[in-house]
Amino acid sequence: MPKLTLDNQEVTVPAGATILDAARQLGVPIPTLCHLPGRPAQCSCLVCLVEVNGGERLLPACGTVATEGMTVVSESAEVHAARRMALELLLGDHRGDCLGPCQGVCPAHLDLPKMLEQIAAGCLREALITVKQRLALPACLGRVCAAMCERGCRRGTVDAPVSLRLLKRYVADVDLAAAEPYLPPAAPPTGRRAAIVGAGPTGLSAASYLRQAGHAVTIYEQADQPGGGLRQADLPAEVLQAEAALILRQGVELVSRRRVTPEDLAALRASYDAVLLAVGEVKSNSGATLGLPAGPQGLLAHDYALLDEPGLFAAGSTLSPSRHAARACGEGYGAAQAINAFLRGEPDYPREDLLTVRMGKLSAEELAERAGESSSAARVTPAGGEATGFSPTEAAGEAERCLHCECAKLHACALRAQAIRYQAHLGHFRGDKLPGHLDLTHPEVVYDPGKCIACGICVRLAEEAGEPLGLALVGRGLGMRPAVPFGEGLAGGLTRAAAACVAACPTGALAWRQHLTADSACTDSGEDQDER
Amino acid sequence: MAEATAPPPVAPTVDLTVVDRLVAEIGGAPEQLIPLLQALQSHFRYLPPEALRRLSEITEITPAAIAGVSTFYSQFRHQPAGRHVISICHGTACHVKGAELVTDALRRRLSLAAGEDTDAEGLFTVQPVACLGCCTLAPVMQIDGVTYGHLTPDSVGQALDDFLQLADRGLLADAENGGRDGSGLAEIRIGVGSCCVAGGSLEVAQALEAAVRSLAAPAVLKPVGCVGICHQTPLVEIVLPHQPPALYARVQPGDAEAIIRRHFRPRGVLRRVRSALTVGLDKLLTDESWQPVTRHALEVRDAPVCAFLGPQQRLATEASGALDPLDLDDYRHHEGFVALRHALKHMQPEEIVRLVTESGLRGRGGAGFPTGVKWGLVRAAADQTKYVICNGDEGDPGAFMDRMLLESYPYRVLEGMIIAARAVGATEGLLYVRAEYQLAVQRLRTALQALEAEGLLGDGILGTGLSFHLHLREGAGAFVCGEETALIASLEGQRGMPRLRPPFPAESGFHGHPTLINNVETYALVPWIIRSGAEAFAEIGTERSRGTKVFALAGKVARGGLIEVPMGVTVRQIVEEIGGGVAGGRRFKAVQIGGPSGGCLPAELADVPVDYEALVGAGAIMGSGGLVVLDDQDCMVDIARYFLEFTQRESCGRCTFCRVGTRRMLDILDKLCTGGGRPGDLERLEELAHAVQRSSLCGLGRTAPNPVLTTLRYFRDEYEAHLEGRCPAGKCKALINYTINDQCVGCTKCAQQCPVQAIPLLPFSRPEIDQEKCLRCDTCRRVCPVGAVDVVSGPSVEAPLAHA
Repeated sequence: MPKLTLDNQEVTVPAGATILDAARQLGVPIPTLCHLPGRPAQCSCLVCLVEVNGGERLLPACGTVATEGMTVVSESAEVHAARRMALELLLGDHRGDCLGPCQGVCPAHLDLPKMLEQIAAGCLREALITVKQRLALPACLGRVCAAMCERGCRRGTVDAPVSLRLLKRYVADVDLAAAEPYLPPAAPPTGRRAAIVGAGPTGLSAASYLRQAGHAVTIYEQADQPGGGLRQADLPAEVLQAEAALILRQGVELVSRRRVTPEDLAALRASYDAVLLAVGEVKSNSGATLGLPAGPQGLLAHDYALLDEPGLFAAGSTLSPSRHAARACGEGYGAAQAINAFLRGEPDYPREDLLTVRMGKLSAEELAERAGESSSAARVTPAGGEATGFSPTEAAGEAERCLHCECAKLHACALRAQAIRYQAHLGHFRGDKLPGHLDLTHPEVVYDPGKCIACGICVRLAEEAGEPLGLALVGRGLGMRPAVPFGEGLAGGLTRAAAACVAACPTGALAWRQHLTADSACTDSGEDQDER
Repeated sequence: MAEATAPPPVAPTVDLTVVDRLVAEIGGAPEQLIPLLQALQSHFRYLPPEALRRLSEITEITPAAIAGVSTFYSQFRHQPAGRHVISICHGTACHVKGAELVTDALRRRLSLAAGEDTDAEGLFTVQPVACLGCCTLAPVMQIDGVTYGHLTPDSVGQALDDFLQLADRGLLADAENGGRDGSGLAEIRIGVGSCCVAGGSLEVAQALEAAVRSLAAPAVLKPVGCVGICHQTPLVEIVLPHQPPALYARVQPGDAEAIIRRHFRPRGVLRRVRSALTVGLDKLLTDESWQPVTRHALEVRDAPVCAFLGPQQRLATEASGALDPLDLDDYRHHEGFVALRHALKHMQPEEIVRLVTESGLRGRGGAGFPTGVKWGLVRAAADQTKYVICNGDEGDPGAFMDRMLLESYPYRVLEGMIIAARAVGATEGLLYVRAEYQLAVQRLRTALQALEAEGLLGDGILGTGLSFHLHLREGAGAFVCGEETALIASLEGQRGMPRLRPPFPAESGFHGHPTLINNVETYALVPWIIRSGAEAFAEIGTERSRGTKVFALAGKVARGGLIEVPMGVTVRQIVEEIGGGVAGGRRFKAVQIGGPSGGCLPAELADVPVDYEALVGAGAIMGSGGLVVLDDQDCMVDIARYFLEFTQRESCGRCTFCRVGTRRMLDILDKLCTGGGRPGDLERLEELAHAVQRSSLCGLGRTAPNPVLTTLRYFRDEYEAHLEGRCPAGKCKALINYTINDQCVGCTKCAQQCPVQAIPLLPFSRPEIDQEKCLRCDTCRRVCPVGAVDVVSGPSVEAPLAHA
């Protein structure tokens, strides 16, 4: 029963236990990718490196047996840097998108792939919820958005991009036409009050998300109607009115025809816990009219908080001019997160983590491989013209055209989770992308060697399951990858261990082919397939 | 209609009964997998998938094991090979002597496109090998069993022709077996350094040439650089198989015939091959360029450097040149088995361990762990079953110590192992030898049989109670198997992937039992230590590094070969006194010690003594004993790139830092050598190097950055020059141009030899090289009789010398 010291805590472990066992016993989190609990260590990924007895070498905690009197440091700056480098090396040649490129380029980072999946599965209410998690005004945006997402859509390199904007509009229109449109639930009241100056897309969006977080919200608007810049957009007035009204129905108070002067601002700051300025573009001189310092773009802020003005925030064109409605909505969402954290006294707010590896341009062959998994139909144009939008059949058919570039295991990927935790810099050690083709021979599981980190977990699980062929680590060095012996496809290698391998694979290299079943698509919590 | 296309390759039917037969012969246990695959490949010339499937069906070896192992070792082919396999050596010595240019020329000659390794007719398959272990003949290639040395881009074609001629005339077996039956080609080395030439060596060479021809002596004349005994010029050395090299000083042309007669008296055994050789010699010796294509019998490859040169002291290589490797009586006459007899009959195991400990012997494989301590650990382990393993997986490119020791002194190595078995209490042992070392493998097989027949191996050795059974296993081409845990995995029939230590093999090794693993040289030293006593050994060498060390001296040195020196002599003594300094009048720039795990020491630091700690202090390591001398034409960035390419290729792939990290380092070095370097690259290279060194799982990974770190430390200016797109040594092809200066006499030799017609054929005028066409193959510079071809690098590359 050796006794050792780990991060200044003494711990006694059974003979033969590793440093990782000791850390788990103490609750010290040491990251691992290649470790399978209860089996001998692989010592492959080396993200579990620790310092032992002050030695020059760093050792993997998973494979280093704890000995009497050992001193282990698990999170020094050097250990942190080494772990980050291991992750950066693993990500440097990773071939796959984490987020779909559409989501990556959307200024509001709307989870479009998930929306499409839900539309295809016929779960329109859930699709709307997915949309509204980032976009408070989807019916408006579905009409006026510049649709950056469609420019990022990889289907565009096959034939034409998925009609993302119209599908978003379809989901929102169905909801607006419903007897009881969706009203986002609000958290229990916090007793904190926020004022928002400006009822444009930024202000309205921020209002919606601050209400959902449980705060009391009042919007001050100089015009007689909410909507700001959207009122000049090519958009039926009733759609804007209907969506704005839904936000007000969340319990947001609107004070219209009220122009806020510098004196008013001081008063607002005195009576509210936080104030958000979403007044649209401010010229540097008009910024001064609010009595606030401004740069050439607009007001000066860091993470939406104005410098040296506690409790005062700004977002959207007020910070830097943009005519992009989706950006305005995204800014409203972001500012709401920052203000919520401020109101709750939290030092930082949970930023949307958009860490994503980019696969870049695919060869024709690779595209064909991926396109084979989705509908081959041409891009659908609404039969009644763009103004009428999609019919239900049209929408479902169009949604099935998505190539689903996003990683099937986005939320289950241990590599990405650790990369986020260690703030890995994806471009630091960039190398040629890993070679290899998708293995689509298995009816349920897809093997993507470009995402494999060669940890050997699947090889071992296949062996444990007594697979007749199983998997082997083939080749050596950088080219080493699991493969089915004798050149057979995955179908031959995984006859009974598929589920275990998909669950244990630390990346998206082994994943279910069907992203979501109809059942899981229709539960809005759907953390992709990870829970399956 | 296309009619000139080659017929499509027909997949031959695979006779699966061969698999059944081989399994019956070798056995079907998992640990026999590598021998089985080797046998299959030797029969089919590759591993046909049907045969592998059959293997999994009739043995207990799993498909996963077969797929994993057969793709791990570089020996195994999964595609059919051509009729003849050309193994082209990419060892360090070959690399610095232009192996890359030779490979390019060979591939051009066979019209191989990128990614192809077999020519259209299916006649030749070209495969690079890490090292053939005949560094003094660099650059070298082996076609089937025939070795060709001192290749140049323009002589590759001659070598292929020569080989095909041999094959046509059914003489391949002679050429291959030359070394084995003692009828191989001898080398007559004649100094053509400036002192020797001044002493009249060119006239002597002519006389020797005439004598060789008139007597039809089976020998090739080899001009060598300065041999370092300049007061005795001209020097002639005769290197014959099985015989000590003979050195003649102050040779006069009139002595030539007598010398040749003395060494090449016509003998029956020679007459058999004479006719073939004479034809060869005619061609070889009339070649004006003095760079004949030279075919070598296995044995002549690296004769020991003449024993009296420099501060040599022979323990492991005792009786060098005087011993017939396989003659047991001969070995006995040279005190063979005296130590074994003494150890078995008059020493307790503990005493042997104590003696070895007191001698101060440290592991000669590289890391220098005290041998006695290791023996003590295995001795003390409680397990009944223990193993003794000899690590003969000499994988360092540029090293051939183990090969030479195993070929020349097989009984000595085996004697050391039997003594070790007695000391640690083992009854089973294994010898793991590189498959590339065919002669060593053959000799060991014969030696093992001889020892068994004599009762020196097996049960009841020398009438004592000691039982020790030894088995020989061939490696299958993986440098990492020199690491002891990987070697054990390989012996167990698995992929040779190292694991984290502890537990050390002394505690849990082969099949989980306590295992002693020592290097060939370590075992070879044991008999001497037992015979002469611990003090005698400890008296040699330095405070912490006792005894002697064997080195494979190669590269740009005048006299390369196997040497053995007492610890403590300086690197400079080795290079200058033994090696005769740098060949060809170039400047001694650096010495690479320890191969891919070692470092490059600049000439200024050559006074560092041969001592484990001193070498580490200087940034190198003792390593297993590869010592490659570099001159001013060697680019240190290229050398670093060369080693990284090697380790990266040999990385087993287990851990992230070695698998990916070495690759990212290589990416940077590749860019530097091709003009794509960017600011910050050197810092990133260093950052990666330190991380790989600090965090890799095994010794291969942890030492892989050493060649980069030492060159960055001592030759940073060269790295900086490469960042600016300049290669000061004129080595990196992408950064150099060839130009013709006004020494040119218009002889058109360059234009005639240029493989791509980049030089116009204009007699009596100075041609201009077409830089677009130029391959930088160096042929023009080599063939120019007046030194009119310059290599330029740097900004001036853009503007070659302007002339009308």
